[in-house]
Amino acid sequence: MKYISLLVVLILTCALGVLVSLPFGQIPPLAPLLDPNHGFWQNSFSEDQLAEETLSLENLNAAVEVVYDEQLIPHIYAENELDLYRAQGYITAKHRLWQMEFQTRAAAGRLSEIVGPMALELDRMTRRKGLAYGAEKGISYITENDPATLALVEAYADGVNQYIAQLTDARLPVEYKLLNYRPEPWSAYKSLLLLKYMTDMLVGDRDLEYSNLKKILGKVNLDRLYPDFPSENDPVIEKERVWDFTSAAPAKPDSLNYPEETLQLEPLAQPTEGTGSNNWAVSGKKTKNGNPILANDPHLSLNLPSLWYSMQLSTPTHTVKGATLPGALGIISGFNENIAWGVTNATKDTRDWYKITYQDASRKAYKYGQEWKPTEFRIEEIAVKGQEVFLDTVVYTHYGPVVYDQSFKSDRQDVNFALRWIVHQGTSNEQKTFIQLNKATNHDQYTEALKDYAAPAQNFVFASKSGDIAMRIQGKFPLKWEEQGKFFMDGADPRMEWQGFIPFEHNANTLNPERGFVSSANQHPVDSTYPYYVFDNSYEHYRNRRLNRELSAMEQITVEDMKGLQYDSYNLQAAESLPVMLNLLATYGASSKEAQKYLADLKSWDFFADPAKKGQTLYSIWFAETSESIWRELMEQGSPVVRPNNYQTIALMSTSPQDSVFDVHMAEGVQTAEYHVRVGFDSLLVAMKNWESKEGDYGWADYKKTTIQHLVPNFKAFSVAGVYTGGGSGILNATGSRHGASWRMVVELGSTINAFGIYPGGQSGNPGSRFYDNFIPIWAKGDYVDFGLKKKGDQKGILFKTTLK
Amino acid sequence: MKFLLFTLLSALVVVFLNIVAPYWAVMIALTVLAGIIRPSGWGGFFGGGLGMGLVWLGQTVYISAVTSSTLPDKMGALMGLGSGLNLMLLTAVLGFILGGFSGLLGVMFRNLVQKKRRDVYLG
Repeated sequence: MKYISLLVVLILTCALGVLVSLPFGQIPPLAPLLDPNHGFWQNSFSEDQLAEETLSLENLNAAVEVVYDEQLIPHIYAENELDLYRAQGYITAKHRLWQMEFQTRAAAGRLSEIVGPMALELDRMTRRKGLAYGAEKGISYITENDPATLALVEAYADGVNQYIAQLTDARLPVEYKLLNYRPEPWSAYKSLLLLKYMTDMLVGDRDLEYSNLKKILGKVNLDRLYPDFPSENDPVIEKERVWDFTSAAPAKPDSLNYPEETLQLEPLAQPTEGTGSNNWAVSGKKTKNGNPILANDPHLSLNLPSLWYSMQLSTPTHTVKGATLPGALGIISGFNENIAWGVTNATKDTRDWYKITYQDASRKAYKYGQEWKPTEFRIEEIAVKGQEVFLDTVVYTHYGPVVYDQSFKSDRQDVNFALRWIVHQGTSNEQKTFIQLNKATNHDQYTEALKDYAAPAQNFVFASKSGDIAMRIQGKFPLKWEEQGKFFMDGADPRMEWQGFIPFEHNANTLNPERGFVSSANQHPVDSTYPYYVFDNSYEHYRNRRLNRELSAMEQITVEDMKGLQYDSYNLQAAESLPVMLNLLATYGASSKEAQKYLADLKSWDFFADPAKKGQTLYSIWFAETSESIWRELMEQGSPVVRPNNYQTIALMSTSPQDSVFDVHMAEGVQTAEYHVRVGFDSLLVAMKNWESKEGDYGWADYKKTTIQHLVPNFKAFSVAGVYTGGGSGILNATGSRHGASWRMVVELGSTINAFGIYPGGQSGNPGSRFYDNFIPIWAKGDYVDFGLKKKGDQKGILFKTTLK
Repeated sequence: MKFLLFTLLSALVVVFLNIVAPYWAVMIALTVLAGIIRPSGWGGFFGGGLGMGLVWLGQTVYISAVTSSTLPDKMGALMGLGSGLNLMLLTAVLGFILGGFSGLLGVMFRNLVQKKRRDVYLG
């Protein structure tokens, strides 16, 4: 009996010990998670409570000092660049390890490893787009051509890896504990992959949709509804700029044949609307103190941990500060003692598609002119948590990977399209650009640094202490004939091939323009006199005009003015379209009490999208519903297409309300713009009735519910929802519900640098830390924290110090 | 008396060993400790349970107090348990069960071994 009861208790105890170490479905192993000494409780400590005076970092030439300011911004003082980047890797990993690993796993198409089959389709898409393939080529390119940069990238990786090696269970980021996995070693390859991932985030194309539109609308209507340039074009590079070079652009070949199929492919994910940015610099002649002022605010998905991580990086020869991307070296948007720079996405259709005609079912060769070219096969092995490895064969042509084929997102067996994209070309060195920019002291060095930069194309704004302001649209842009790449092309016709690249000197740029400022807001890069073909579906039409109008009008500019402009919530689109809509609505529906209330809100609105404004809520719904009604028949004809943009829609409503595009074929009679505005208004009444009964207040912030979401959307408790702030898409403060100003910086380049920055997050990646989201309330109000450069030994406002040795 | 001694020593083992070792190592240590001290069966169970459970509870209370972190509440919401307070209780209960069974096992082992020896002598 004793034996039996002992056996029972023995089995019970062992089973218990094992059971609490195992995951059950989505529930992580309970005991390691709850153990107060090693589990999540340990993640409750903020960084200052865990401050260490010294930490061990091997392979340094000299000790490195890390000084944290009161916002937990590390200021790293190293004796040389190798030590600097080793320390940057180590310190970044200390605060953001989980995020940098998660993002590169996503970039490599390896999320299924952690979260299981739900991410399989996403992983397949990522791999078929060839991001990892491009990063592999990138690493072999810098290995052969730029060992100096490679050494720095490897030092950074070593810093990250030393941190991982020292990591205890207690300090392991809580996301690992919840998702039940551990960090793996970092590598130089991963840093490059991260920059490819940024390209993927920022570059889209609508070739599929335009191919379909051309078939549905015909070329004439396509050009009318989707013109390459808007009537009021206010480009990045000022119109007055004279292009004093001979274009290298190829002539358009005669009688081209495009693939004829209607394309029922599922479009690739596109950069979400609201992804964009502002940057500008004003020259000393327009500022109160006579110093140039530079401002930058990239708009991206609002996530926690934030995409950005602030740092100051110092060696005896240079000191630079600003926003870093965890995983990449140096500062991405920032300033040093001599210059400041910032980035916005330089939108341009640089992803093109080629129809591939295989010789036979083996897919070993495809037609190219008169010959058959051999293909290469790349087998993607996708590990899936809780399942067998998934094997995906991707065929590579000289254009690039065949993304769409028999096994992926196509309803037809014979549809094969290859993707041509600069990401696959390994001959770029973006990391070098940023390392050089960090040290640049003047306009020449800035220009030199940008020579190695290929993708994602950016508008690099520049200002220097010596008084220069500049803008350069930098990327590796293919040379194209008129309309090349606007539609899916035939890969068998060599004339459809890219014809090389626009020479670096011909990339649009400007230095110290007459108007006293440079600016960009993702609009058209140039006006129509620029001698190269420029096209994209998603150019901005409102932020740019608002920005340039304000900058033109301003004099005696101060840093405060520039902060105000970043937070500006004037809705130019509403100002231009609401009067037109009210006019078309006339007295429709005015007898209802509800309608009267909303109309009163709309008519008294000053077009500022401030948090409490009701007019902005009503306008945004009314316009969306009106546009929906106008383009419903076009959108619902079966194959994927895009709508004409808001600017074009509003132009049609105001200048030709009787236009045939407004006619609804399914309805009786002839419809005009008036009809759609009224349908939109009816929908507004229904939507508002719903909203008011369920949610009550319809002030703009309450309606748009800005949410800063944790990278794992299921981890809702780690997100910050309902942030009370204004702005929206098409507005300088572009903060919508899930996108917006992900980093704001204003720098005055006087004898001492006067700098301010903020981002919607916090320096810590740990949801338990008081530095996880402490910037959010400051950011929401349009305030900033001081970003001045700190000298070594500066004792003011220090949280704690750590020596790495 | 042995019960109180065992409870106290269990608590000390958890406090000091758990800093460097995972929970399962603490369980083994409690089993061994129970075998050495040999309280009664119930004493082993409640002594080990209270030792580990109360220390774990105390540690969660201490961490919450010195950090005033919102993490316990966030984790509570994430795990569908409501507040961080419930997570404290869950941690304490888990510690109690793990410690309790470890203590009981140790006592039973010792009893068995002891019995056997006595049989040998008497025989």
